[in-house]
Amino acid sequence: MANRLSTIFLSLCSLTLAVQVAAATLSGTVESEGKALADVVVTATAAAKNLKLPPAKLKSVTLSLDQKSKEFIPHVLPVKTGTAVFFPNSDEIQHHVYSFSPAKRFEIKLYKGTPTKPIVFNQAGVAVLGCNIHDWMLSFVFVTDTPYFAKTDSAGHWSIDLPEGDYQVALWHPNAANPDQLPNENVHIPTQQPLHHVIELKLARQSGKPPATLQLEGYSDGF
Amino acid sequence: MQELHTLEMDMLNRFRDLTQLIPALLCLLSSTSNAEATKTALPDFTLHGLADFRFQYRDAQPGELENGLGKFRSGGDGSRVGVNEAALTLQSRLGWDWSGTLTAKYANRQVTPLDLSEAFLTYRPVSTSAWHVGARLGMFFPPISLENTGTAWSSPYTLTSSAINAWVGEELRTFGGEAQLSYHTATGDRVKLFATGFANNDTAGALLAWRGWSLHDYESTLNDKLRLPNNVGIQTAFPQQASLSQPFVEVDGRPGYYAGISVERPKAYAFRALYYDNRGKPSALQNGQYAWHTDFWSLGFKADLPWDLTLISQGISGRTRMGDEMHGQFAVDTRFWAASVLLSKAWDTHRFSIRYDRFGTTENDFLPQDRNQEHGYALTANYNLTLAKQHQINLEVTHSHSDRPARLSLGQHSTQEETVWQIAYRLFF
Repeated sequence: MANRLSTIFLSLCSLTLAVQVAAATLSGTVESEGKALADVVVTATAAAKNLKLPPAKLKSVTLSLDQKSKEFIPHVLPVKTGTAVFFPNSDEIQHHVYSFSPAKRFEIKLYKGTPTKPIVFNQAGVAVLGCNIHDWMLSFVFVTDTPYFAKTDSAGHWSIDLPEGDYQVALWHPNAANPDQLPNENVHIPTQQPLHHVIELKLARQSGKPPATLQLEGYSDGF
Repeated sequence: MQELHTLEMDMLNRFRDLTQLIPALLCLLSSTSNAEATKTALPDFTLHGLADFRFQYRDAQPGELENGLGKFRSGGDGSRVGVNEAALTLQSRLGWDWSGTLTAKYANRQVTPLDLSEAFLTYRPVSTSAWHVGARLGMFFPPISLENTGTAWSSPYTLTSSAINAWVGEELRTFGGEAQLSYHTATGDRVKLFATGFANNDTAGALLAWRGWSLHDYESTLNDKLRLPNNVGIQTAFPQQASLSQPFVEVDGRPGYYAGISVERPKAYAFRALYYDNRGKPSALQNGQYAWHTDFWSLGFKADLPWDLTLISQGISGRTRMGDEMHGQFAVDTRFWAASVLLSKAWDTHRFSIRYDRFGTTENDFLPQDRNQEHGYALTANYNLTLAKQHQINLEVTHSHSDRPARLSLGQHSTQEETVWQIAYRLFF
């Protein structure tokens, strides 16, 4: 029930956002080695000369970061600075979520079915989240100062509604091979051209998903 | 001094009793926390395990089970069908920082049919800094194997463990405490230093010297007894040695230690190095069990490569000595080494693995008639299919080529080619 409510709430917020600031839609696709790439965060930051841009009147949006079947869902969560993130626990077991990233250091004990206070992400950067009990669990909260951001879906597609002006569009992915050389370009809105980017990934298979078999999931040597 | 020694000995024996008390301790801790449990749902329990059914076709010399010098646990010609192993692992979260693990297992011709193979507490407090501390306390495997990462120390790659890991499973277990300090970087790398003090591992090296390296998947249990080779001169040279070696007893009252470093990034690579010294007093003897002074270096490397390939390589080099010292020489003084390279390819629910093992021992002692030198290699190829995450079918063949002069005492050729074919159904739950 709570999940459904938060989904509705989120949809309403998104709708409000669209009504308030939509002027043109910037969209694009991202791929890696010929395949659509999900979980890419795209941010659009207004250029300094973009003076006619009205200040974004965004309330901080409450999103939820869920645990289901010993996995963080979503794996990547972009939020604006100041956003409060709730951590409901849908599993029958406890989780112990923590982050030691400079962007946000915290720990939160998640009991089954017990609501906890949200964590407010008030500094731009990437918070890498883990679970102290289930070592494979992994999630990335991408905290950005701009109100204009999106995340690619499973088809590698993204779109952002933007007022007219000049923007710097930047991409980020947790598994990028060269984090310092990710796509970053200037775009003038309105534009009719959808963007297309290619990101090279690291070899590491950090999916954040439980091991593929019970043989591996059911054992820990404590080392 | 003698009193101190007796006191130390007494404490070490008590520690062994303590290990047996861990199950009771777990229950006690959980019952005292019951009042809180209604609010916190801690402690919680999870039960996992495996059942392993095997068909084996062997062309091999008698092994450990037949008091022989064969390279597998069991030898002979022909086939065998049956339950190879059944194990249950109970894990309990005793609090947010502490958890307990107990594994009890049955294996074919295990001396105590149901017995513990590990029983330990893990301390792992959460950290919001880059530094993490941790500890293990109880009976657990020293962190040597990079292959045995599955339920009850099983391997997802092969049925038969490498020569190194078969020996770790057979003769090594930590009865003590391990402290860990690790540093996690923003890129996901983890550098961990660890140091351990332990007891009850004084006979480690007895089988390695007298029987030699072996290839199997048997892990000894708390009250286990392992069979020594017959008719190769051990009983003549060491009449006080019992016919069975007890792997986990304290003989000399001197605790041992190991310490090492681990550098890893989960799902990318792992590197481990450790130095182990059980500080055994070679002249000590108690209840038919000698203390063996065993020390070694262990190195391991694992890499997750493109195309779902995994490479694991381990190496070990050390020395074990036992008995009285005469003119700078011991009754048994064996240097040992082994190395393995495993390459595994996962493809959906299928996995193909191949491993090459090389191993050897040399001796330099005053009892050359007790011949403990050998050298050899082994090749293992495995295919497994895991359905619905828990039903695993394995097809495997292991071939060993080894030369051990002590076999001449048994009327065998010194050099032996041995092969075992296996089909296994393993259920994990």
